[in-house]
Amino acid sequence: MSESTVRYSPRGRARAIKGFLRQFLSYGSAQVGLVCLVFFLVVAAVPNILVGPLQTAINATGDFLVPPSGQHLLGTDEVGRDVLNLVVHGARISLMIALLSTVISLVVGTTIGMTAGYYGGRVDVWLMRLTDFFFVMPSFVLALVITPVVLEVMGRGGEILGFRPSLFVILVVIGMTSWAFVARIVRSQTLSLKERTFIDRARVVGSSNFNIMVRHILPNLVPQIAANGALVVAGAIYVETSLSFLGLGDPLQPSWGTLLSLAQRAGAASAGAWWYLGAPGVCVLTVSLSFVLIGNALDDTFNPRRRVIP
Amino acid sequence: MPDTADILRLESLQVHFPIQGGLFDRVLGRPAGAVRAVDGIDLNIGRGEIVALVGESGSGKTTVGRVITKLAQPTGGKLLFEGRDMTAERGSSALRPYRHRVQMIFQDAYQALNPRHTVFDIVAEPLRSLRLVKNNAQLTERVSEALAAAGLNPPDDFFARFPHELSGGQRQRVVIAGALAVRPELIVADEPVSMLDVSIRAQILQVLVDLRAKHSMALLFITHDLPLAWLIADRIAVLYLGKLVEIGTADEITFNPCHPYTVALRNATPQVGANAGRAELPALQGEVPSAARVPKGCRFHPRCPLAFDRCRQEEPPAIEVGPQHLSACWLAK
Repeated sequence: MSESTVRYSPRGRARAIKGFLRQFLSYGSAQVGLVCLVFFLVVAAVPNILVGPLQTAINATGDFLVPPSGQHLLGTDEVGRDVLNLVVHGARISLMIALLSTVISLVVGTTIGMTAGYYGGRVDVWLMRLTDFFFVMPSFVLALVITPVVLEVMGRGGEILGFRPSLFVILVVIGMTSWAFVARIVRSQTLSLKERTFIDRARVVGSSNFNIMVRHILPNLVPQIAANGALVVAGAIYVETSLSFLGLGDPLQPSWGTLLSLAQRAGAASAGAWWYLGAPGVCVLTVSLSFVLIGNALDDTFNPRRRVIP
Repeated sequence: MPDTADILRLESLQVHFPIQGGLFDRVLGRPAGAVRAVDGIDLNIGRGEIVALVGESGSGKTTVGRVITKLAQPTGGKLLFEGRDMTAERGSSALRPYRHRVQMIFQDAYQALNPRHTVFDIVAEPLRSLRLVKNNAQLTERVSEALAAAGLNPPDDFFARFPHELSGGQRQRVVIAGALAVRPELIVADEPVSMLDVSIRAQILQVLVDLRAKHSMALLFITHDLPLAWLIADRIAVLYLGKLVEIGTADEITFNPCHPYTVALRNATPQVGANAGRAELPALQGEVPSAARVPKGCRFHPRCPLAFDRCRQEEPPAIEVGPQHLSACWLAK
């Protein structure tokens, strides 16, 4: 306890993080959400070890539309592929798209929201008009318009940053249409933060505007960004699923939405193949629910006064 | 003490905040008004001198402090630091040399400290941003020195703490340490003890007085408390509605006030023990008028028990009533 020389900030930070985690993990919803999330992240990280390489019509192992059995735990699809295999590989695509588009959305939203709120005046007005523009832009229409253009330019083959072109479009479109929400929240929080006395103090002690934003405002925005980031992920998973369901996915990199789309086209519902529709459906539901749970728990942890509201 | 050249000089300093008229007013061409927070102040602070700026809330005393620390931009007049005009200087890098020499202590220490920064980072911030240290060893040394000077001992114990883990008095000491770290020549202290327990106040004031004695640092002490000003300051300036009404040595202002407002302020202070020696003026009536509608003539006349016709028509100039003692009252002599 009593060391002669106390190292500075790292110890204080470590203590703060430990305290935060203890509080966060005391919520049941956080525990449930984290367990689900870790499970899906592990599945998405090593799909080949768990279920072997992605099956196609050529290397399919089973009969057509076989119900779940010992051999095929989640049954097979209309060309005899193992649904478990597809769902596990789909987890990787779905999660990657959701998380990467959230990163885009958070980076762009935070930068624009913070700049607008901090500088105010004309900067604020113009950045917020830009935000409004993206706020009302429907992700579906945008994706449907952009995808053919990108496919035309890029060609159907090839990959952009490891993604098939149409998936890359989905990724960018989700990022583009969800940052406005983050920017609005960050701006309003910045407006209240910049009136605090510690910003005045930072100015008096000579900090530059950039340093004030990065060292003083940004750390105080982390609660809002983290809690809303989790909700953005949940939304991104839904949008990705819907866009893929509409046929914007790519069969070579099937996400859960693509699987739902295939199942629907194969007539899984009328054929009574509940496993084919149900497996990806439950996955989408579970993952987005766990992100919402985590988001709410983060919100409660950072903002204890909200706890009274059920 | 104020025998050497002044370190800081305010020349008819003016801060008006424009009032945004509504669309209706603009269409009709009505002139937009302004809040005249500071309306022409002349003040000088000598090297190592402690000047107290006394006034009610709304008198503009905080705005004066914000102008000196370059947090607010004056709309008129001049801010001279060692004879150099600093009025127009802007931007964090251009102001670096000035920030190095002029620092501020804030009223609400809890608000003035970023809740997510440790004490070390808070005190180190000016040293880092003003580039006053070359390496970490030097930084640690300067931070320790500043914390010790502000009375936080041993300094190491406080490095990793967060503001919410400190008591009110300790927080104010951290704010003071942050201002001291750069070894400034002038500190603007905006009500540094008004949020503290009475028992802590004396300690914090002692820290400030010691600093002046040790480093001959000048201090502009902003307060609403006249006895406190007398206790700490060499000179007292009394501010009313954006204008200085009286200025003089601490003893003169406290024991021989010439302006009715100063007298009223003094009478408003409860005294322990006998109330002998009090002037017979009744307590002040009403509130400070809005700085958006400054009364014509002497701005104090609506509340002044001694007001007569001339006060309602003409604004009195600062009249010399004694050595270093000026009073802006028609009755002063």
